[in-house]
Amino acid sequence: MKILIKNATIVNANKVFKASILIEKEKIVSLAQRIRVKADKEIDAEGKYVFPGFIDMHAHFRTPGREDEEDLLSGAQAAVRGGYTTICCMPNTNPAIDNEARVKWLIEEAQKDDLIDLFPAGAITKERAGKELTEFTALRRAGAILVTDDGNALKDLLILRRALEYSKMAKVLIAEHCEETALTQKGSLREGYISSKYGIGAIPAIAESLIVARDIELARYLDARIHLMHISTARSIEIIKRAKKDGVRVSCETCPHYFSLTVDDVEAAQFSGNFKVNPPLGDKKDIEAVKKALRDGVIDCISTDHAPHSPAEKELPFEEAPFGFVGLETAFAISYTNLVKSKIMDLKNLAQKMSYNPARILGLEGRGKIAKNFKADIVIVDLSRAGTITEATFASKSKNSPFLGKEFFGVVETTIHNGRIVYSASSNE
Amino acid sequence: MEEWNKKHILGIKDLDRSEIETILSLAQSFKGISRRDVKKVPALRGKTIVNLFFENSTRTRTSFELAAKRLSADVLNFSASASSLNKGETIIDTIKTLEAYHPDIFVVRISSSASLPVLAKYTKASFVNAGDGQNEHPTQALLDMFTTQEVLGTLEGLNVLVVGDILHSRVARSDIFGFEKFGSHVTVCAPPTLIPYGFEEIGATISYELDKEIEKADVIIMLRVQKERQGMSYFPTLREYTQLFALTPERMRKAKKNVIVLHPSPVNWDEEICSSLKEKLHPLILKQAENGLAVRMAALFLVGTRRRTL
Repeated sequence: MKILIKNATIVNANKVFKASILIEKEKIVSLAQRIRVKADKEIDAEGKYVFPGFIDMHAHFRTPGREDEEDLLSGAQAAVRGGYTTICCMPNTNPAIDNEARVKWLIEEAQKDDLIDLFPAGAITKERAGKELTEFTALRRAGAILVTDDGNALKDLLILRRALEYSKMAKVLIAEHCEETALTQKGSLREGYISSKYGIGAIPAIAESLIVARDIELARYLDARIHLMHISTARSIEIIKRAKKDGVRVSCETCPHYFSLTVDDVEAAQFSGNFKVNPPLGDKKDIEAVKKALRDGVIDCISTDHAPHSPAEKELPFEEAPFGFVGLETAFAISYTNLVKSKIMDLKNLAQKMSYNPARILGLEGRGKIAKNFKADIVIVDLSRAGTITEATFASKSKNSPFLGKEFFGVVETTIHNGRIVYSASSNE
Repeated sequence: MEEWNKKHILGIKDLDRSEIETILSLAQSFKGISRRDVKKVPALRGKTIVNLFFENSTRTRTSFELAAKRLSADVLNFSASASSLNKGETIIDTIKTLEAYHPDIFVVRISSSASLPVLAKYTKASFVNAGDGQNEHPTQALLDMFTTQEVLGTLEGLNVLVVGDILHSRVARSDIFGFEKFGSHVTVCAPPTLIPYGFEEIGATISYELDKEIEKADVIIMLRVQKERQGMSYFPTLREYTQLFALTPERMRKAKKNVIVLHPSPVNWDEEICSSLKEKLHPLILKQAENGLAVRMAALFLVGTRRRTL
């Protein structure tokens, strides 16, 4: 099958240019001003923007264990609806993804639906219990390129040290959920004026930055790579910025809600469970720091931390509701609106944060960029159109978004994966 | 009297000064009812009030129950065990189930802070907060204010000193917001571990020295030393805590002559208050219980008879 995308404005991390794209089988075979080929399908992308398929380093597909909240098919459908073609799904499932068989099984199951490339993250420790390392090389052989105990930070520094050292041989990326639980206890809301005003169990900002600082010291000492997930506080960013300047091999991600919502929005929503997330939403200073860090390159990428939860769980009182938002379908529009349209960064930066850098950090070759011989993972967006987020926005089985009712610019029109159209907004309407 | 149109009483935060004054002046007239021979008025006859208690309580629940009965409402007491509380779905399902009886008011106590606005969406009835986690206990603050006004004749320009576990206290929060609305100044006095982070922004002054603060106070609100907080390093030992923060005869000698001492009850004698002060201080604390009944009657009456707006 040949697909020809004509009159495209292509957005890569390094430049924006007009060209036509010819896709054959799974690859981009030609990129030129004018391509005269009889294709099986022609898409006129005049006025539209064409990005390399987005890569999410951090999504929860709840499989195995909570397939009522998300399964591999609904997760993949959510992904392609949001323009994502490559997903790293987190191992905090039940049972945890802590051995090669489970990694293999996930990849094989995802291949049956064939909507996205799924790279399951493996756990760092068996059953994510923080005690014994998993078989990194076996996980890697099965297809895990990243390992994390996401949901928990490693408590035992010796285990973390061993993991960072061993990962150099196994060539897996160690990713850390930065939370010092001794300080978060059973907290639900960022510690500050609002948590104090309502007596809500509080999570101090330093619960994140303490682990950030700790992990950076260890990575520096061992000259090991480490990836810090869902970074949300101004202080964490200062520490990471300094570490990068000093040459520590640290990368990090943030999520759309950390540059879009604050703890004030949680109060305005009367502490609806839909606004509960971990790390918790911060204050204006954090939002500004996250935006600046994205622009300046301190934060490498935008991940979704897509976290589906059932309605019965999210309608619970705030302190009892589980943490997390769905986000695959909405990440691009929120990021485009709040970062590009508001002139924090340009489109190239956005392609860098959502495609190029995740590919680079994960060591995925041949993707993250629209170029000849690269994988035909492509997303076509209309930046002039706005859409209101409703429950119908989500292909996910879950609808737990704090952005419901909000309007954002940037509509994903077509998603192409491996040279096939896997999502089209027009056929969906 | 001002017209009342608030559907719920969820917290002192949400009430303005004139609304608080409305409740207090109505409580004044209801107080007389309980002293009559026939202690009942038909003010809420035909209304159904559900005491929905997801957390243990005897005093507050009985106070609300009696308040409702003295207004001739039908009262249903529903206490859910702590175990069913863990499955939060049951909270919502419980409300929906009780909704089938067409109640007019839910009096709710729950361990989850700031949870009532979300829960109130599942019923057409009014909510009156009987304590939500560590957030608010509005009728306790109202009865503290009622008692203060009754004894001191005003709620304005007072120095109010709240002593004890501020961090975990819904009573402290409601009292702070309440007294501040009348231009009184609140000082909270506790070890730093029991004061919420960034509490200066609430508008209260923070102090760690009871000995310094006591002489300025017009009203002292003593909070209970909660047993379950001991051994959690909020303070090293009860002995050290009482040395620093208990009300003792020596400290009372430094206080103003007409100072009033309030306590949400029950008092742990010889913990937060030295028992040698019992004779002197207990009568007013007991009077608070009587006033609590009047204040709760006023609160139930106002939400139960408010003009319904669309």
